[in-house]
Amino acid sequence: MISHNFPRQQHLTAAVPRSIVKKDVNPLSLEEGPQNHLKENMGLLSILRRLKQSPEQEVRLLLLGLDNAGKTTLLKQLAAEDISHITPTQGFNIKSVQSSGFKLNVWDIGGQRKIRPYWRNYFENTDVVIYVIDSSDRKRFEETSQELAELLEEEKLAAVPLLIFANKQDLMTAMPASDLAESLSLHTIRDRMWQVQACSAVTAEGVQDGMTWVCRNITFRKK
Amino acid sequence: MGCFFSKKSKRKSDKEERTPTTTTVETATSNAVPLGNNTTDEAPKQYSWDKREKVDPKDYMLTGLKDVTVGRLPSKLNGQQFVIQECENCNIYVFDHSATITIDDCVNCRIFLGPVKGSVFFRDCKDIKCVVACQQFRTRDCKKMEVFLCCATQPIIESSTGMKFGCFQYYYPELAFHFKDAGLSIFNNNWSNIHDFTPVSGENNWSLLPEASAVLDFVPAPDPESEFKSIRISTDPARSIVPLTKGGRRKDSEESCLFVFFSGEYTTANARKLIDEATGKGFVLVQTKEVSMRPEDVKRVFQNSADNLVEWITKGPVIALELNGDGVVEACKNIASEVFSGTKVFVSDNKNTSSRDVDSFFNFADMQMGL
Repeated sequence: MISHNFPRQQHLTAAVPRSIVKKDVNPLSLEEGPQNHLKENMGLLSILRRLKQSPEQEVRLLLLGLDNAGKTTLLKQLAAEDISHITPTQGFNIKSVQSSGFKLNVWDIGGQRKIRPYWRNYFENTDVVIYVIDSSDRKRFEETSQELAELLEEEKLAAVPLLIFANKQDLMTAMPASDLAESLSLHTIRDRMWQVQACSAVTAEGVQDGMTWVCRNITFRKK
Repeated sequence: MGCFFSKKSKRKSDKEERTPTTTTVETATSNAVPLGNNTTDEAPKQYSWDKREKVDPKDYMLTGLKDVTVGRLPSKLNGQQFVIQECENCNIYVFDHSATITIDDCVNCRIFLGPVKGSVFFRDCKDIKCVVACQQFRTRDCKKMEVFLCCATQPIIESSTGMKFGCFQYYYPELAFHFKDAGLSIFNNNWSNIHDFTPVSGENNWSLLPEASAVLDFVPAPDPESEFKSIRISTDPARSIVPLTKGGRRKDSEESCLFVFFSGEYTTANARKLIDEATGKGFVLVQTKEVSMRPEDVKRVFQNSADNLVEWITKGPVIALELNGDGVVEACKNIASEVFSGTKVFVSDNKNTSSRDVDSFFNFADMQMGL
């Protein structure tokens, strides 16, 4: 797993980190150049290379939500790793996970108030947004509702399917997923696929159900 | 892909996968709230939280209290969540283990929080003195807090000032069990290296408490008339369930020694015995770690001594300690042969290479325990 902390001064740089996700290259996009015939051969070569590769599709998932929502715990659960020793995320974490024939590249971004302005650096090319809510933190429902509302207005996230994990259902004061859906007025969302999934990241209950929805909705993303 | 209206109801058991649409969803009844606009119409799943006995959230909350002594006795919380909010001038004692604790809008309180499996999160609090053990420690918008902390990961603060930290020091009979129940190791304590999300240049939002700070000067023992009178507390540093470590404070001596116990029946007891022996001779415990090692880590960390040790790391996590003081390496070697002759241990061989031992081990541990 790759874990990135931002430089010592604890400010996120505005630069988008180098993406580790392979972009799909159209092997037929031939460039103008002095030796077109060479480029044409290279295009054919790359087609052949791609035929040899496994046909699995790479998918970019973005894990967002307030600090302490349980994003990193979720990430560790997706990778079937130990969750007893998780540090508050200072920058972001990335993991690649195989699921339902897809290779999921999951970006887990720190959610402290100070660093939320930097979320936008990660929006580009996202296939599904996974928004995590601490269902037991009633004091911050308005805050997380506000952040989610702003995300839904983002140009770069237009029409991107949205999974909302109503996390921490294992806790006593957790609000049920249906109540959460109602208070967030999710039914007013018109421009994308969305789903609320109750879960407990610490026990993993409900997590796979959410990921199944994610995988089912990747292919139908409007480009 | 066509567009069509679909009436979706939570109760529908039609298993056929529908072509996904982006149309609006009608609620079947006024009670059924849609959980999505593209569900597969399988029967709604029941999870453990749907089936469990409903409890009153108020049993897990302290709200709006003033000038009182209040909290929870051992086994009253039993690993559940706890919420503390809007309290003023209270002495709050949570003498049990819990899942997670949030503390909101409290002023002038003295708080003890028993081992927390997940996070402790202080928001909008002021003038707090507390003793806390947890996996994660977080604050936001807090002012003037003094915290005796045992934290398994790096503590973080945000938009907070006047924050002071010291090493957790506490004992009561059930506390060791509460640590186990919360899944916290007494040897993994990052109390002194705080990450500040909102540093201010030229100022420090946090600092370390003076080394000799006595917990009872900050968080008093419970009122002897209260429900907590039966709890036999001690804040004697020598009795603390969590060993006192120097942490990030400046070391007195250039000489440090690495001492590692391999997993066995009495590892924890042995580690404590070493601490007593060494501190009794005037040496200082700088830091400790309890961590699992793989065979490939052994060579890198223990170098020349590695060969014998590979089989010992498979039995469970090791407990490593850094001791500091002039002559500490010789003293540790003597202790190893006199007190731990039958036990599998690693001790730094000489004071010229012992610093490297310490760095190798604790750098490895930090990497292992970061993500």
